[in-house]
Amino acid sequence: MTAPASLLLAHRTIRQFPRNPILLGFSFAPVLMMFLVFGALFEGVTRLPGFPTDNYYEYLAPTAVLLTTVPGIGNAAVALASDFHSRYVYKLLTSPISAGSVILGRLLGDSVRLIAQAVAVLALAIALGAHVETGIPGAIVMILLGTALGIVTFGVLTANLALRTGDPAAVQAILPMAYLLIFLTSAYQQPEQIDSPVMRTIVDANPAEHVLRPMRELMLTGYDWGHIGIAVAVLAALALIGIPLTIRNYRTIYR
Amino acid sequence: MLDELEHVLDDLLARAGGASRLTGDAIVADDLGKTYPDGTEAVRGVTLRVRAGECYGLLGPNGAGKSTTVGMLGTLVRPTAGRALVAGFDVMAQPREVRRRIGFAMQDVGVDAFATARELLVLQGRLHGVSRAEAAARARLLLELVDLADVAGQRLAGFSGGMQRRVDLASALIHLPPIVFLDEPTEGLDPRARTAIWDALDQLRRSLGVTVVLTTHYMDEADRLCDRLGIIDRGTVVTEGTPAKLKASVGSASLEDVYLHYTGRAFAAGDTDLREAA
Repeated sequence: MTAPASLLLAHRTIRQFPRNPILLGFSFAPVLMMFLVFGALFEGVTRLPGFPTDNYYEYLAPTAVLLTTVPGIGNAAVALASDFHSRYVYKLLTSPISAGSVILGRLLGDSVRLIAQAVAVLALAIALGAHVETGIPGAIVMILLGTALGIVTFGVLTANLALRTGDPAAVQAILPMAYLLIFLTSAYQQPEQIDSPVMRTIVDANPAEHVLRPMRELMLTGYDWGHIGIAVAVLAALALIGIPLTIRNYRTIYR
Repeated sequence: MLDELEHVLDDLLARAGGASRLTGDAIVADDLGKTYPDGTEAVRGVTLRVRAGECYGLLGPNGAGKSTTVGMLGTLVRPTAGRALVAGFDVMAQPREVRRRIGFAMQDVGVDAFATARELLVLQGRLHGVSRAEAAARARLLLELVDLADVAGQRLAGFSGGMQRRVDLASALIHLPPIVFLDEPTEGLDPRARTAIWDALDQLRRSLGVTVVLTTHYMDEADRLCDRLGIIDRGTVVTEGTPAKLKASVGSASLEDVYLHYTGRAFAAGDTDLREAA
């Protein structure tokens, strides 16, 4: 029952999107603005020796994918908290489904939105002259890595916050933190161009950096299976921490 | 109105042909209790039996433990003491089996504001394993039953509280459950809507043989709908019986006098000595 219930609830989530154009618009507009503004502002970086491309949008595109998927998954938790706040979640739980399928359905539905938005970001980059070195298969891997990072980092964090508080405003308040996770990477310049040793240490320790690196390689140079393996391992480790924590918080649903 | 209801219920009855009906005890609760982690004792030792096809009312003021009791029987609140069987299944050990056999209309109605009334009912039916076509057909009939057929395609965000409550009631019936829990089903409704729900419940019970457990603090509602009543006060059932028997036991024609007699104080709907939880 769990898998079909998750799919039914994912369908419910997807059906909500066109009925909530503000969510669609305002969850995506900042990404597009940052992509276009930063792309124009930092264009000169491409002239630095050793920079891997002469089109900065090409360098920035994987970052824009992360800017779509990581903060964007937080909207799933806002919606989840809204379901708690309105008590609709308890209506769902009077049916013979697991509490997990309520959350999984929400994440699946929002993942569809994020993937569609990430495809739109890549399409914009291509329209601005960027080129995906690994083609469509590489683009798919890039988007899947970005979506998975969103789910296991900010998705888990905000879902747990939603479960603990049931307060959409509390979840919304934490959404800007997602940008910090991405800004503390080599999102805008290559790691070797970061002057501050402290910042380089932070960037190296940031799990998002280990996912962004192979994403950028897929865009610029090709498949580096070693780096892809590290990214998958980082994602798996984060999932191993986040999923039990979330399961523990499921129990608070039944009082 | 009643003729229309009969027609709708006939259709529903035809659709419920294969649905399992209960015999014997639909609900058995033995010394059921709930104490919250902060020490609040919401329910202390509720023992009751509800026979199949019966309408059993839990009557008491706000905070008496009515909602917590039906929350435990409906698997939404975990008991901390005692045991309960619903449709023969243990609410703690077999919650999904219980949920397959119950409908639950809540005191605090929660709806999906972005969904239409029809979509909400169909989803609830699908989550109960009803096919899409069948769920759509039942949704149409049930929305007729609660007099909302005209607004079936409208989003719930624009519905009044009373309309949302009727949608919630209809959604509790979408899988044609043998047992229905109704937590203050007519709270906040205008007299016309209350009467419509009472008629619908009467007809449902007569046509489908549904077992109903309802909580209320409306004496007239309890008197009109319930075969038997349990008066609940400070987390425990202090007496139970048919409305007529209870009234006879205190020599009065009023359930308020019954309440006064068995609890030692006048009925006050705002009484909140114990926390109302669910």
